[in-house]
Amino acid sequence: MVANSTGTQLAIGCEDGSVKIFQVVPGGIQFERNLDRRKGRVLCLSWHPSDTHIVAGSIDFFRVIDVTSGQTVQRIMVNYHVEKAKRECVVWAIALLSSGTVVSADSFGRVQFWDWEQGTLAESHTVSTSAVLSLAVAQKEDSIIVGTSTGATYHLQLLPVRLGGLEKRWVRTKPFQFHSHDVRAVAHSPTALISGGLDAQLVIRPLMEKVQKKSYDAVLRKFTFPHRRLVSCARKARLLLFQFSQYLELWRLGSTEETGKDGEVLPLCRMPEHLVQLKSKGPEHIYSSCVSPCGTWLGYSTASRFQLYRVHCDGDGVSLRKVPKVPKLLPPAYQLQFSADSESLFVASARGSVHVFQLLEPGGCKHLHTLRPPSGCSEAVYLLAPSADGHWLAAVSGDWAIHIYNLKCFKHHCVVPTYDCAVSAIAIHPSTNNLVIAYSDQQLFEFSIPEKQYTSWSRTVQSRGLHRAWLERDSPITHITFNPKNPSHILLHDTYLLCVLDKSLPLPDDSALLMNQSTLKQLPETARKRQLHAFKICKKFQPLLFMDLLDKNCLVVVERPIMDFKTQLPLPVQQKKFGT
Amino acid sequence: MVSPGALRVVRCGGGGQRGARAVFSADSKYLLYASGDFVKVHSVNTEETLLLLCGHADLVTGIQLNPHNHMQLYSSSLDGTIKLWDFMDGIPIKTFTVGPKLLALYALASAEDSVFVVIPKKGERDTFQLVSVKLTKGAGQDLEGKELSVVLDGVGASPKQIAFGREDSYVVSVKDVNLQVYFFKLKLLNRFSLSTAKTKGGDNSFSCVVCHPTEDCIATGHADGKIRLWRNFHHKKAYTYSALHWHHDTVMDLAYSLEGTRLLSGGVESVLVQWHNESSCQKDFLPRLGSPIECISMSSDGILCCTLHTDNRISIINSNLRFSRSIQGLIKSRDVKTGLVVDPRTKALVLNGEPGHLQFYSLQSDQQLFSLDIVQRQYIHQAGLKQSELVKVAFSAQGTWLATVEESEEVADPELQLKLWFYSEETQSFALNTRINTPHDNHITDMCFRDMAELGDDSLILVTTGRDCVFKVWVMVEDSDPEAHQSVSWSCDFVGSYHNYQATNCCFSEDGSLLAVSFEETVTVWDSLTWELKCTFCHPPGNIRNICFGRLTCSKYLIGATDYGFLCCWNLLTCALEWSAHLNIVVLQPDPLSEHIAAVSWLSKESSLFVFKPSEPWPIYIQRNLCKEKILLAAFVPRDEPEMISSEKYCWLRKSQLFFLTDTQELMTLSTKSLEERLTPSSKQLAVEESLPMTPFSVLLGKHRRQQAQEDTDLGKPVVHNKQEQASPAVKELLHTPAHVLPSASFLCTIFINSLLISKENKSAEEVADEVEMESEKAEDDSDEEDVTAMEQEDTSHMELLGEMTCKLSKSQEKELRKIRKMDYSWISAF
Repeated sequence: MVANSTGTQLAIGCEDGSVKIFQVVPGGIQFERNLDRRKGRVLCLSWHPSDTHIVAGSIDFFRVIDVTSGQTVQRIMVNYHVEKAKRECVVWAIALLSSGTVVSADSFGRVQFWDWEQGTLAESHTVSTSAVLSLAVAQKEDSIIVGTSTGATYHLQLLPVRLGGLEKRWVRTKPFQFHSHDVRAVAHSPTALISGGLDAQLVIRPLMEKVQKKSYDAVLRKFTFPHRRLVSCARKARLLLFQFSQYLELWRLGSTEETGKDGEVLPLCRMPEHLVQLKSKGPEHIYSSCVSPCGTWLGYSTASRFQLYRVHCDGDGVSLRKVPKVPKLLPPAYQLQFSADSESLFVASARGSVHVFQLLEPGGCKHLHTLRPPSGCSEAVYLLAPSADGHWLAAVSGDWAIHIYNLKCFKHHCVVPTYDCAVSAIAIHPSTNNLVIAYSDQQLFEFSIPEKQYTSWSRTVQSRGLHRAWLERDSPITHITFNPKNPSHILLHDTYLLCVLDKSLPLPDDSALLMNQSTLKQLPETARKRQLHAFKICKKFQPLLFMDLLDKNCLVVVERPIMDFKTQLPLPVQQKKFGT
Repeated sequence: MVSPGALRVVRCGGGGQRGARAVFSADSKYLLYASGDFVKVHSVNTEETLLLLCGHADLVTGIQLNPHNHMQLYSSSLDGTIKLWDFMDGIPIKTFTVGPKLLALYALASAEDSVFVVIPKKGERDTFQLVSVKLTKGAGQDLEGKELSVVLDGVGASPKQIAFGREDSYVVSVKDVNLQVYFFKLKLLNRFSLSTAKTKGGDNSFSCVVCHPTEDCIATGHADGKIRLWRNFHHKKAYTYSALHWHHDTVMDLAYSLEGTRLLSGGVESVLVQWHNESSCQKDFLPRLGSPIECISMSSDGILCCTLHTDNRISIINSNLRFSRSIQGLIKSRDVKTGLVVDPRTKALVLNGEPGHLQFYSLQSDQQLFSLDIVQRQYIHQAGLKQSELVKVAFSAQGTWLATVEESEEVADPELQLKLWFYSEETQSFALNTRINTPHDNHITDMCFRDMAELGDDSLILVTTGRDCVFKVWVMVEDSDPEAHQSVSWSCDFVGSYHNYQATNCCFSEDGSLLAVSFEETVTVWDSLTWELKCTFCHPPGNIRNICFGRLTCSKYLIGATDYGFLCCWNLLTCALEWSAHLNIVVLQPDPLSEHIAAVSWLSKESSLFVFKPSEPWPIYIQRNLCKEKILLAAFVPRDEPEMISSEKYCWLRKSQLFFLTDTQELMTLSTKSLEERLTPSSKQLAVEESLPMTPFSVLLGKHRRQQAQEDTDLGKPVVHNKQEQASPAVKELLHTPAHVLPSASFLCTIFINSLLISKENKSAEEVADEVEMESEKAEDDSDEEDVTAMEQEDTSHMELLGEMTCKLSKSQEKELRKIRKMDYSWISAF
């Protein structure tokens, strides 16, 4: 399924060999017509940049279809040159360049360049011994990235054969081996190559020659985990809700009565308990989920539906009951959040609106209000943060604006000054009602809601600047909580580290060591005082999914070791590695 | 210059090529490569050495064909000169003195009168620069080439680390992890560097570089075995490269095919890899080339390619990657442990060759006769792997038996094997007869055969000495087992020891009745019939390093050399020390055909040769400063026919020739003849003959000429024609000899005029008839005449080179030598 360059038409290739054209109309699509149907499933499609032709790849051949007449104008067997080809050759990816060159990537590991009008093969590059699965062309059509089933991606460039000469040729240049499994999707941005594969990683590889200076963009980035909250915690009931793609799991945490020293594993007096697994109906993925702090309410939403459940804990048994007559929401909820007193539910929705539901005992709910930004907003809200006293609600929408609403009067309170970066986490301090904001470029802000301005600490941070090592981290802060015992402590975490930010301590400068906890331990008391700075970082965790404070001296941390799901992946393509 | 009468040291084989790529002549018939101080010209078809271009005083570092004249060759040397040769005739045309050491040479077609050389930068150690040298045009033969202009700084010292790109528009140099490209026209210098971090155990540093012949593409080889293909390198940032990876160790050299569609690479794996179209998936291999590949070069027509190997072998490979032939002289092995042994049957020199092999090297033809696999195990190239190595070799006097000892490299517990091989007449090779596992408990130090022709096979005895403090005597026994394949096998007969000392050397007397075995400081003499100890000698302090018996008239003497620098001669009849001398003897080698013994001493970085008779306490011949290198081994090789040597001093060379092997594995010999004589004239003829290419035109022309000759005879004008024919040798000589070696025109004039005159002798009728016949065989005659010219030419060059100095030097030298002899009487003071 590919849209044309102007986005007015959509071409869809079908298993039966037909290509259907749909008209894109506001709010939906409309079937326009069928193009010439030939035998063989259509596996990939590409529009010509001028929208006059479509090229469709199938098994053993691809064809070029004239969009206006709907006729197949050229049909090229990709396997023609290979003698005694027993296996079928699957064209997995195809691209039609403006010059009339068709680039095909097939299961023999070849990237071939065809002149479709003549039907001749211009160049053939055998990039890999295994199949080439994906292909992306740069906007300027001088660079191509292909992904293969061995997890390697290859970069092809159109280079002049001779210095200053006009003759140009495609040359396979750099191979990248970032993935362990199939690379199913690749994209080519002006400055970077982006690839995603079956091994659940997204890799952004910047093109050094296109990046002017060393900056945030010039670093190779790998993403394994989504930057979203997948775990929610009922603090009072000590429950954890895990969101999987098709189901939810509710666990009761174990507990211990003993205390011990640093590094000791304490014996559990109560084992963690798997309470219930809730499967969602239909094929849709669960988009967001939440459990209320008291542990009696549970909600999740998929692309089309929103469900609310009442959790009954009677002794050891747990039962779920669906809350009837949940108001229909259109479009779906992007984020769910219960208020601290578990009496209301906030549902983030499209166009910057937040719906507020009142939860009724013994199992009902009522739509109370819809909060909307005053100026209107086209993007959906994706982050919500209610204050502990139930007075305020902060909502972040896709245009990175943070709106703060007063919940007592359901009124828009203010907007946090816009910062040109995506918000990765927000939280409202329970005692001071300061909103702490973490941006994806690792900047931290503190905004006082009652005073509608940045706090003085936040200003100091901005004037001093954060530590370079902190800014150069590549995974954003995904969750923020506060230490109830010490209001100056902010707990932050990203995928790899847990950080306690102590506002009372001085900020480190670039010469100081950012991660100094281990060195501090060895120092005597007086020297340690001098070395202390605001960031106390702990990196001992395996990939961190979630962290929250249960009560004053109990912190729950959810790890997700990479090996856990690596073992669940299908076997990668077997490759002989020299020297093993 | 040494007068022909005096002895001179002649390098006759071995030595290294030292990284300079070989060069094919323009017609791909000859292969030229630098070997030591010489440039060798080989015929590609016959594998023969045709010419040796000698004239450089130090190592030749680079050779290049003159791009403007394909019959000429530039060569550069560490002696700071560039020479221009006519390699077909072996004549130096010009010598340009540059001054500093020249490490590499590049000649470009676009640069009319300059070549590029790599020289060390003044005032800085280990930094080198690429400079262009303007070759001045002058009349004389010796010219100055002092006009230097620096092109690139900080280049590598190896000639493989610089390459010139398409149409000589740019030059690339690589060193460590840096690559620099200089564009001549744009005057643009681009530098790129790879990360120095050794990621995943790989080493990014560059080893060699070549440029694509038609496209702007640079191929670089790396220490971790990768080949990178660089493109777009005229952009500082948008440059890009792709990598090919097959080699597991350093890529030693790369070569592009003529069109640039194929890339050849070679390394330590001794596999030639051919990459097609820069694709990592399409590649061909030519494995089992025998030894690590050091250099690859392509012929100009792209039909042949040649690889130089680290062990001095040269392989010539077809364009379809099929092994064509190899030129192998003395194979360089890692360590010559066997010593120099002469095969009595073929008179070939026998020593370690390829790992685990024994090479038979023919001294006459400078070729390897064959290689005998002794260890019979696959050699795996890998650092730190313990290999079995051949350490000792001995032949019986008739060459029918060969004994070999191999041991694994482990020092503490060596795995020893003694193998006995019998020469089978049918297969014309050695066949394994007996294998003895662990013949000694520790390293075997020496081994020798006793056999006497008069006593027949029964007298054959093998003695081995070991560090386990015993010597063992092995004899042949009849195999009683009727099912055995062979009738005889070997087994141990006697084990002897002396005071629990380590046995170090053993030696039989000429008649075989006595066996001398040295045990550390003591030499013991045993009766070989009863195996009882006859007597002992020692000359403390110091362990015995070498022992040998005197021969022929001197067979009553036993000679020994000790660690503490003494050469002792004991009389076996009186059991007393006859004489001794203070000399640090490294090699002690008796001549099997005379009573002479050669001893090579090593003192203060020079080797000296002493030849003496045991009966006389003063040497017959002394040559101080034989060569700069340390001489490790020596051998007397019997001559096929005794050479006529007039001088009394060199009579010891009459029956056999002395060869030395230095620590750089160069084979040297002492010769009274000059070098040029050593090369057989026949090969020179070949050179002239082959220089006329067999083109369709020449065939046509030949036919036409023959026809014409036929017509001439038919017309009855044989006499006139014949006169022209007669005159032609002188004219031909005039025309064929290069202009710069010709005598003055006034001298030539008379000869020329004379040749045109009609000879006075009246020819008889028979003669005329004969001549008619001759004319029908004109083709052959022609070639004969050419032979004559070739010979003459050679002679003239000899005269020029050597003629003037002959008489003078021989006198003065004799005087000097006499002086030395007088002075050297003092060294026998220890007696």
